[in-house]
Amino acid sequence: MTNKNKSIAILNSTAPFSSADGKDALDIALIFGSYEQDTSLFFQGDGVWQLINTQTPNDISMKDYLKTFAALEFYDIEHVYVCAASLAQRALPNDFHIENVTILSANEFSNELRLRQIILRF
Amino acid sequence: MQSLAVMVTTPPHSNLTATAIDYIEYALKKGIEVVGVFFYQDGVLNASSHLSLPNDEYQTIKQWQRLNKGYNLPLYLCVTAAEKRGLTDEISDEIDDQIGNNKQTNINDAFILSGLGELVELSNKADRVVQL
Repeated sequence: MTNKNKSIAILNSTAPFSSADGKDALDIALIFGSYEQDTSLFFQGDGVWQLINTQTPNDISMKDYLKTFAALEFYDIEHVYVCAASLAQRALPNDFHIENVTILSANEFSNELRLRQIILRF
Repeated sequence: MQSLAVMVTTPPHSNLTATAIDYIEYALKKGIEVVGVFFYQDGVLNASSHLSLPNDEYQTIKQWQRLNKGYNLPLYLCVTAAEKRGLTDEISDEIDDQIGNNKQTNINDAFILSGLGELVELSNKADRVVQL
């Protein structure tokens, strides 16, 4: 069987702790990364909350899966994009809990997304 | 021949799952090779053997079984998502364990327990991956 390696975008569009979407998306990203697939993370809408620094999910009895984002570089997931308009709409600062986050305008964001062959949205 | 992999994330009582089934069947009828369906998040609930939907409602499980048998369509479950939702092929109690009874399952036999690695494999086999 031929191997059709593809570039994958994991598009995060929901806030971190009210559903398991963010964790489920991260699990997929790490698996694709560990199989050495070309994997990128995108954050848009309420998904941008997942990048915001200094959150204390233990206060609401949730596991802090955001800590695991620090492992992304070990899985060679180097491209993390966040939508500037989504941040601005929520009056959020560019204070993220991981480094190497690229802030893109809505147009740049969609152009970058369009380059990927698979988009999985959570 | 074009090929397709599908990820299903919606539960059996959702009309979005009926849409997924229609979508997959049209693809199969068009001669597109569907390399597999991967069930993730609440999608794994489609595999419960204890599912009982009212007779006059859409019988999701029967449709999955029909596609599985009729087209040899592989149906893969994410084991982590399944176990989180009470689906397992390792049901036993202490007495079962003592007398060496086989483990019981509550997963419909049309479905295969697998992991997220299977999703990577499917995405590498298919020309296109669609999430529903």
